[in-house]
Amino acid sequence: MPQFFLNKRLIILLVSIIILVALIGFSIRDRANLSWPEKFVKDTTGWVQSLVATPTQYVVGIFENVKDLQNTYEENKELKKHLEDMARLEAKVYSLEQENSELSEILKIEGSVGDYEPMQATVISRSPDRLWHEMIIVNKGSSHGVEKNMAVMTARGLIGKVKSTTPFTSTIQLLSALDPTNRISAALQGDKKLFGTIEGYDKENEWLLLKGLPIDSEIKEEEMVVTSGLGGVFPGDVPIGKVIEVVPDQFGLNQTAYIKPEADFYNISHVMILTRGMTIPDEVEEDEQVDEENEGDDL
Amino acid sequence: MKRFIVPFLLLFLFVFEGLFTQLFPVDIFNGQYIFVPRFLIIAIFFLTIYGNVKHGIINGFLFGLLFDMVYTEVIGVYFFLFPLSAYLFLKIMKIVQTNIFLVSFVSLICVAFLEAGVYMLNLLIQITSMDFSKFTQIRLVPTLAMNLIFVLFVAYPFKRQFEKFADALRND
Repeated sequence: MPQFFLNKRLIILLVSIIILVALIGFSIRDRANLSWPEKFVKDTTGWVQSLVATPTQYVVGIFENVKDLQNTYEENKELKKHLEDMARLEAKVYSLEQENSELSEILKIEGSVGDYEPMQATVISRSPDRLWHEMIIVNKGSSHGVEKNMAVMTARGLIGKVKSTTPFTSTIQLLSALDPTNRISAALQGDKKLFGTIEGYDKENEWLLLKGLPIDSEIKEEEMVVTSGLGGVFPGDVPIGKVIEVVPDQFGLNQTAYIKPEADFYNISHVMILTRGMTIPDEVEEDEQVDEENEGDDL
Repeated sequence: MKRFIVPFLLLFLFVFEGLFTQLFPVDIFNGQYIFVPRFLIIAIFFLTIYGNVKHGIINGFLFGLLFDMVYTEVIGVYFFLFPLSAYLFLKIMKIVQTNIFLVSFVSLICVAFLEAGVYMLNLLIQITSMDFSKFTQIRLVPTLAMNLIFVLFVAYPFKRQFEKFADALRND
């Protein structure tokens, strides 16, 4: 028996397992902020990463430009076609916006859930531990005004949310992460507006799952899905994707729609971090904090 | 001067892994497979065998912690598994001959051990719920294939660099 306790290697192993459990337990609980050593390390490596990333992205950009030149002719044709429509649309949007602002002035409505301010950020690194942690690191942090849980999009659509911030960098968790707490309140833009939550990701087909749609509603394919803005953190009307297929859920009480995301989760180099324009009234915010404690991250 | 080259090399590989993941063309094979660069741990394996055992294990701890903080935000997984796989590598190398082909081969086996260990721990703390055969198919095998190519390119330069490092340590 004393032999057992004198075995140095065994004791080291046991102690390190205890430390391992303690550290993992510390880091996977729902943290509002990172601890200061983590922030310091992430900022320092972020600086090194951006030193390396900037010149490489410049070089990659040159190659991509050359590639773009090859199909300029085709693209030009296509764009000209769109351009003819553009003038008509522009006039229409202008008059609609004018009308909208006049009407909301009459009704004394200030702002809408669809208001947001985009902040440009450049991707400096991506987590190599893909599949378990689908995260990218960008070069804007809390000193630029980024906060936890903000929505992040590319020019084409929503890609994820801010997971954590340090003064000069922030980490973004993509929608393709297999994280069960990643829930986003979404709306279907059909004849009648339907609401559900984006929960889960189908890795094989690269589809998102929109759950909790009423069973009796008729959902057509190719309908647009946008964020609803009802969660209180994300702004509304940010495009997410298009409906591919609708199936009843496992208990037959709701419907689940498979959605093909608009944005590309792979080749991301520039992102926009969205600050919600409309603030939530204080009472609602308090209620929501209670809700959040009960339900976790419902965005 | 030579003593500082090794930490810089490891730091460069650490940053390079992130950049590589970002720029790697994922469209090949329809994005079905996931290729994880494991360049840093391969360098640590070569450091333990050709350089210095103590330096290898300590660098394993340091870079494991760094990897956890920067790339996963779950502290502990790599912090524990980097040194453990370096230790396992050392144990296997005591049994087999130390020629460069066997070192490369065993380092790939230890990369597989590391990948499986990370998968097990993530399964345990419920970051994933994927079954093992699917994990093998979409992540483990492609990762090993890519790292094999990497090892073929760098085995000899790594060996020379770390032997120089060991010499420099001995002369001090």
